Amino acid sequence: MTGDERPLGALVDARLHLLSRQVLDDDDVPVTTADDLELATADGRDLPLTGDDEVVVTAILTGPSLLTRVFGGRAPRSHDSAVPWRDVAALTTVVNLAVTWESLDVTWPERWVRNRVVGRIPGGRHDPR
Amino acid sequence: MSKLLGAALGILTAIGGFLDIGDLVTSSVVGSRFGLSLAWATVLGVIGICLFAQMSGRVAAVSGRATFEIVRERLGPRVGGANLVASFAINLLTLTAEVGGIALSLQLASSVDHRLWVPVALVAVWLVLWRVKFQVLENVAGLLGLCLVVLAVAVFLLGPDWGDLAHQALAPVVPSSEGTAQYLYYAVALFGAAMTPYEVFFFSSGAVEEGWTPRDLAQSRVNVLVGFPLGGLLSLSIAALGAIVLLPQGIQTNALSQVALPVAEAGGKLALVVLILGMVAATFGAALETGLSSGYTLAQYFGWSWGKKRRPAQAARFHLTMMISLLVGAGILMTGVDPVKVTEFSVVFSAVALPLTYVPILLVANDPEYMGDKVNGRLTNLLGSLMLVVVVVAAVAAIPLMIVTGAGG
Repeated sequence: MTGDERPLGALVDARLHLLSRQVLDDDDVPVTTADDLELATADGRDLPLTGDDEVVVTAILTGPSLLTRVFGGRAPRSHDSAVPWRDVAALTTVVNLAVTWESLDVTWPERWVRNRVVGRIPGGRHDPR
Repeated sequence: MSKLLGAALGILTAIGGFLDIGDLVTSSVVGSRFGLSLAWATVLGVIGICLFAQMSGRVAAVSGRATFEIVRERLGPRVGGANLVASFAINLLTLTAEVGGIALSLQLASSVDHRLWVPVALVAVWLVLWRVKFQVLENVAGLLGLCLVVLAVAVFLLGPDWGDLAHQALAPVVPSSEGTAQYLYYAVALFGAAMTPYEVFFFSSGAVEEGWTPRDLAQSRVNVLVGFPLGGLLSLSIAALGAIVLLPQGIQTNALSQVALPVAEAGGKLALVVLILGMVAATFGAALETGLSSGYTLAQYFGWSWGKKRRPAQAARFHLTMMISLLVGAGILMTGVDPVKVTEFSVVFSAVALPLTYVPILLVANDPEYMGDKVNGRLTNLLGSLMLVVVVVAAVAAIPLMIVTGAGG
């Protein structure tokens, strides 16, 4: 990794430094790419926003959000697949999480393919030689 | 001592790993039709791949990010996604061609129809991807690929008129039997064969797999700058063999036997055995690289866990992608399409896709956020930009030339 972790309070451009960045878990295992972000006002007030509202990032979205980023439109909120922002540990050229990937809801496709397909083929759970 | 050995190994695998089915087929067709008059296109392609493979390796070593993660970050989900679709499709075509190449080489050795060899090749490639360590698969395929040095030896054994060969290469003219459009079409094909995008996906992801740090860069620079040009020399040897033996007699046959014919004439059965071993190793190695690249590109775009350094169960979707790609590739071959035709299409479409890969690499290699003080120097940027102009010209010209010449006519 280049540079140090961004100091607290440093200016981060969400579009430039967050979107489409690789998200890694606490053991540097790739989890997902930051497909989109969930935003909310700091005091929990709903739309419409005024110029005085403080907006915070509450989650990194993935899965269906990628489709809406590519093709436009909005997915129903119930379809959101999210990594909560409180799990984020550091921002560098990647997003580092403080938790392990298996504990996250968004990794269900990976776990499904592992449990149903790849893990069942002989040798699938052994180190390559 | 072990350091020296490591350095030698790196260079040798770079030579042996340079050639794939695209180089074999394109160079042999070009040799028998145009002699050495297109040597410049191969040289240009070798310079280009040296430049950009080295650049992508440097980005990977310094930032820890492989090429398609960078494509996604720089181009965003939409343009990056379009890039993924194109790159993945072309890589699949190349994978198909490489598996076909293994089968054709085995057919050459056994006279058993190549379609019977396809399932064998498929299982063998998959087993290696499934179970063998990255370093082992890279080194073994590369070292066995060194058998292809027999190509250069055969040129010497034939004792050609060196002055004539040098004249063909250095003062190139379009042969009277061929049109200018055909000449340019094969120039683009040779360029695309040398610069195939999968090499950069594989090279940068391999750097991450092997955990390169900036300290490994000197070694990788030597591997690339010595190994690739020597590999390119083997590519030129194929064209030279065609120019010496086939062109004067007007022989044009199936592309792989076209490589074998002059080698057999020069060195007899033994040379032929070594050649076939080398061809099997080179196409097998490239099938591994393209197979891995199918997983690398998809996993890196979506941010999945990937890599041979992990157990298959720890990179499940990555391994599933490779399995499906191999099955699709083998399925295409089993329909009975000519693997040589697949190869020819794969190199030309590679040329079309080149800018999609190389522009983002050049951008990130200049970004201090990723590269710190290891950003490109002025000379690298100048050469990289000049090469990018060539890349774009080749990409734009490829499809029109393909239509005008009826894919080489």
